[in-house]
Amino acid sequence: MENVIKQKIKQIKKGDQAAFEDVVSFYQNKVYQICFRMIGNAHEAEDLAQEAFIRAYTNIDRFDERRKFSTWLYRIATNLTIDRIRKKKPDYFLDAEVKGTEGLNMYSQLAADQALPEEEVESLELQTYIHKEILALPPKYRSVIVLRFLDELSLQEIAEVLEIPVGTVKTRIHRGRETLRKKLRHV
Amino acid sequence: MNCKQEVIALMHKYLDDDLTQPEEKKLRFHLQSCSDCQAHFHELKRTISLVKSSSPISAPGDFTANVMSNLPQQKKRNHYMR
Repeated sequence: MENVIKQKIKQIKKGDQAAFEDVVSFYQNKVYQICFRMIGNAHEAEDLAQEAFIRAYTNIDRFDERRKFSTWLYRIATNLTIDRIRKKKPDYFLDAEVKGTEGLNMYSQLAADQALPEEEVESLELQTYIHKEILALPPKYRSVIVLRFLDELSLQEIAEVLEIPVGTVKTRIHRGRETLRKKLRHV
Repeated sequence: MNCKQEVIALMHKYLDDDLTQPEEKKLRFHLQSCSDCQAHFHELKRTISLVKSSSPISAPGDFTANVMSNLPQQKKRNHYMR
């Protein structure tokens, strides 16, 4: 698949927009998940993921084809999301309310669709709680936890995405893991 | 206390798939006799299982179409490159 992507990149650089549509289609879920798991808001995640692809497109000539396209794309998405997180800090408590509303909307939506067995409702509550605790991590720990355990990137890939040494990735994962251990030990 | 810090570091290396064989022996040996560290290790492993249990999230159905419709206008590119 890596070779197919390389071929698509060459076509995009020559001005083929249809080739870019294939690239977007291929990576959309991965990029959207990175943004959503780090920002916690579906609408913002969609905006950020969209912006990441547009930036990749407008800067495609700067992409070094000797490197892995996904790393470059994930870096754009991660950096955009971290920037957004930092800008919205003053509104944190309002966002907390919005997040609560989102949770309620989730349940309302599910209630409209069908009644869930008790176990599934509990599972949904648990996942929401876990996601909240991930979102409470400082961005530098949140990003490595999301990339490692939700997007399942290797330590080396994460180092390349974030442009930090592998040792730093490990240190941040360890601290993120310890923080989450304390938060999640009783659930 | 310092001993515990060292063991906890080994736990994280284990979870990173980074332990050497002597380190693994050391960790296992310590866990056999220290219930506090056993509990700590169990909590760490469970934490990661919980995080990983989150369902994958998919992009909205019209995501690709929206990206394409928001791309900047296509500029003519020079097809003759040296």
